[in-house]
Amino acid sequence: MGTGVQTPAIDGYRPQAPFLDELFEDDGTPRPTARALVEELRRLGPEGLIEAGRRRDAIFMQQGITFETKGADDGEGATKERPFPLDLVPRVLSGQEWRDIKRGLAQRIRALNHFVDDVYHAREIVREGLVPWRLVASCPHFARAVHGIRPPGGVYTHVAGCDLVRHSDGTWKVIEDNVRIPSGISYVLENRAAMARLVPELFASYRVRPVDHYPQLLLSALRSVAPSAESEATVVVWTPGPANPAYFEHAFLARQMGVELVEASDLVVRDDVLYMRTTRGLERAHAVYRRLDDDFVDPLEFRPDSLLGVPGLIRAYRAGSVAIANAFGTGVADDKAIYCFVPDMIRFYLGEEPILENVKTYLLSDPEVLAHVLDRLDQLVVKPTGESGGKGVMIGPHADEVELQRMRRVISTHPDRWIAQDVVRLSTVPTVGVDASLQPRHVDLRPFAVFGERIDIVPGGLTRVALEDGSLIVNSSRGGGSKDTWVLEDGDDADRAGPPIADTQPPALPDLRYGAWTGQQQQQQQQTR
Amino acid sequence: MHFAIRFLTEYRYDAPVTDNLNALRVRPATTSTQRCDEFHTRIEPEARVSRHLDYFGTEVLEFGVPTSHEQLTIDVRARVVTSPPPEPPEGSWESLLSPAYVDAAGEFALPWQDQPLLTGLDDLHDELEADSPLETLELLCELVPDRFEYRPGATYVGSTVRDLLEMEAGVCQDFVHLSLVLLRRRGIAARYVSGYLWAAPEDHGTDSLEVDTHAWLEALLPSSDGHGEPVWVSADPTNRRLADGETHVKIGHGRFYSDVPPVKGLYMGGATSELNAAVTMSRLDPQTSARA
Amino acid sequence: MLARIAHELYWLGRNLARAEFTARAVEAVFQAELQGTSETTPGVSFGSGGLLAMFGDVSEEPIRPRNGRALGQLTLDAERPGSMLASIERAREGARTVRDVISAEMWEAINTTALGLREGGQLFGAHPPAPAGPSLASQYVKERTALIWGVANRSMLRDEAKCFLDAGGLIEISDMVLRMLRVALPVSDSAPADGHALILLQAVGGFHAYLRAVTAPPNARPVARFLLFERAYPDSVAACVDSLHEVFTTADAGPRNSKPVLRVSRLAADLDFQRRALPDGAELTGICEQTQQELARIDQDVAERYFAGAAAAGLRR
Repeated sequence: MGTGVQTPAIDGYRPQAPFLDELFEDDGTPRPTARALVEELRRLGPEGLIEAGRRRDAIFMQQGITFETKGADDGEGATKERPFPLDLVPRVLSGQEWRDIKRGLAQRIRALNHFVDDVYHAREIVREGLVPWRLVASCPHFARAVHGIRPPGGVYTHVAGCDLVRHSDGTWKVIEDNVRIPSGISYVLENRAAMARLVPELFASYRVRPVDHYPQLLLSALRSVAPSAESEATVVVWTPGPANPAYFEHAFLARQMGVELVEASDLVVRDDVLYMRTTRGLERAHAVYRRLDDDFVDPLEFRPDSLLGVPGLIRAYRAGSVAIANAFGTGVADDKAIYCFVPDMIRFYLGEEPILENVKTYLLSDPEVLAHVLDRLDQLVVKPTGESGGKGVMIGPHADEVELQRMRRVISTHPDRWIAQDVVRLSTVPTVGVDASLQPRHVDLRPFAVFGERIDIVPGGLTRVALEDGSLIVNSSRGGGSKDTWVLEDGDDADRAGPPIADTQPPALPDLRYGAWTGQQQQQQQQTR
Repeated sequence: MHFAIRFLTEYRYDAPVTDNLNALRVRPATTSTQRCDEFHTRIEPEARVSRHLDYFGTEVLEFGVPTSHEQLTIDVRARVVTSPPPEPPEGSWESLLSPAYVDAAGEFALPWQDQPLLTGLDDLHDELEADSPLETLELLCELVPDRFEYRPGATYVGSTVRDLLEMEAGVCQDFVHLSLVLLRRRGIAARYVSGYLWAAPEDHGTDSLEVDTHAWLEALLPSSDGHGEPVWVSADPTNRRLADGETHVKIGHGRFYSDVPPVKGLYMGGATSELNAAVTMSRLDPQTSARA
Repeated sequence: MLARIAHELYWLGRNLARAEFTARAVEAVFQAELQGTSETTPGVSFGSGGLLAMFGDVSEEPIRPRNGRALGQLTLDAERPGSMLASIERAREGARTVRDVISAEMWEAINTTALGLREGGQLFGAHPPAPAGPSLASQYVKERTALIWGVANRSMLRDEAKCFLDAGGLIEISDMVLRMLRVALPVSDSAPADGHALILLQAVGGFHAYLRAVTAPPNARPVARFLLFERAYPDSVAACVDSLHEVFTTADAGPRNSKPVLRVSRLAADLDFQRRALPDGAELTGICEQTQQELARIDQDVAERYFAGAAAAGLRR
């Protein structure tokens, strides 16, 4: 061990049974893939971690990689900008583990895409009796305005972020699908860049798959669905504006892809074609990566009071003159109630068994199921179907009797607005605590998939970590943090973005004899001495 | 009956406007009791009109005027033939639970988005107790015009059922919204209908009337024997009767008004607009209206 | 580029140039009044009153020299849209909108300037302004704007974005110089020896350039001619118009049919003709007025041609 007086941050780390720890076995020995990492963490020690943490906060504040939180605990109080909470201990996944996840995700996303297409056209899955139409029609995000429209290539879910959790038995389960405007990829990229800068020594013994090709993946996908020759397609990123909490990501992606970042005032539809207002007059936009919710995109078809939308955009979309990613109306597939049917979708559309399982979920519209759930409320998680970001979620085992009673009343009034799920024993990963010692904290995973001509998934994704001891809520808006996610190279070239950088000898430059100045001048200087 | 319908809309703007986008739901539908024989649109300034069927099957006409203009004229003409509907079925309350009914009802049996728990609704609900869904429907057509005064100006296009209950007055749109809530509360699927009403009394010698677009409803009633297909039956609470299909010319239906507005539009420019709209219905002699 | 962004850049340029000009002019007037030389002699009259008049503020009574309040209004009064502080604040707002187009360095330079002016307001003395107040603030802004343009010229790509930024600055400077001349030049035709046109040169920072370019002493007429026609001096109206032509020709997709480009080109030709054709003692106020009006038309042409799309007057039903 080191010569220093301090105790290594990771000494005496013990996983918390019955939860699976991803870096350590139950008895406290590091897992094989984690050994080198743990050793480096020992060497780094608490001082090193604290120092790196300080540098991280300074860098993030300076670069504006922040997010806003409400001041006080009750949600009131002035919003404050905080540096994005990146925890310095990465999560490590083996190449093999990742391959299984990838296959499962690709399968699931394909099925969800089929479902969206089906719902707005033939409704075969409904005719088959697998999904009740009333459930689809009552989804708040079911978009009647786009009924009958089929986008190029039949792709609706261009960007998908399906949230995964790892159960204590080691299996991966999908906890939630996100196919409307999933966000967080910019944090994945910035986290990796930051880690490389702050704690490069942790990477020493590892070959970690790169993630920085995401913008290129997205750009290719957008170009491939655009209604024009690929090389000529004008792609734009559409943002609601700087007031939006995810604005940083919108600007980041536009910059990385080298495309314009537009707001509603820059866009106009004439004759069912979408244009950008430029200094050279109107220029056509062929593909739009939009980061607005459906509700706001077109005051003629959705919310009439939306100032963030472009009148006539749905017309252009219907006419096929512009590609929109993600397509309008995809929210019908990531509705929490529809989630229960995804395994059926996989079987129905793909004829395959699901590779990734759902978490057991209960639809409360059935009175028997409702009664059963109310009885066991202290053992379940309940979520409102209309919210996202962890809002309104109640975790039975963590709630007191008063809260449980209140929930029983609320749910009974509108059972169709809630679902209940078994509590998943989320896995843990060592996380830097306040005193720089490492403690097990629960994590989930949001990989990012791009669906263009095929489905590409960036290795790893955003690992979100609950920073409070015992907490299962990982959302950043509710006090969560994130970790860099490493997928290790293991010889499988499957999703390599480009050839590896070869170790070659640089060429010799014989005329650089004196290291800086070339011949003549040097001689003159010598002569004048 | 044979009708010629003319729907003339004129907008005048107090300053030039551009990018004037509009969607029209004005064409009479073709159904089992109605047929639209002719249909013409004229827009000024000239604009290319595109058509499609929306989610509810209503024909939508869309156009845009990008260049600067100070007035917009939309002139729509149609010829339509209507025939009387069959007798409404007298199914039972139990049949509302049958798979055939649930299937046919679809989303029209779903409660309102945020089912208003309003005082006054409960009383009305109780008064609609009857032996069959058809009877409830008939009672409804009496109850609503009895309790609420038809008064234009009491409400506006964005009014809610709550407004109607408070004002105790409203127009056809409000009467229908309230009726839909009450029917769905009893498990009867119902939908909002927009159309034209030939409002002349039978014995009146008129053959041409100026009317407004009208709102009524269609309720899904189970078949008399409980096994056959349920039937959509029109009812007009504003006019106190089950709609007699001949005088009611349907344009389309939806869950509520904003699913089938006759004219919807937006323009760019700070000008205020002045609207003049007139719908003229003319009764035609079957001989003269049957053209090639 | 997006019309909205070009519009913001153009106005960023205008606001920065206005702040800089105001700073220099206030400084010059302040110094002159301190030495009692600005409004007491016949010929060129340019003091606090003149400054205020430049910004459209004509008061009932003549403004007494060393009027701290007047200078304070021009520099640190947040309520006045024409004040130096207001210009810098607007520049900062605009810069924030176009952060993705200007370099991080430029944004930081502008941001720091705005923050410094705000906070330093206490030091600079805003209400009521201490005699030294506006002067310190002006020196600060003078230095900082020079820095900001320096950073812009080094770190920005010479593309459309830079063109619009420069265009804004050029139009603003020429407009300011013309206003100053119109307010300061004597109306009568007589041209007594009135070496106090010096203040005009100091207001733009062109004193040394004048000395190198012109043999005549700094009287009203030669100074006015210098500021109007001397193309070798970058802040002269003619030089600005020449640069404007270059800049729009680069930015425009079709310069040969472009209204603003053609108008600027005509204006440049007119100025050149006037320079050659006008006798030395000729009346220049009329020319200043016409040129200023022509610049206003150019500004309008620019808005129509490049930013027209951006200004949407709102959606109505």
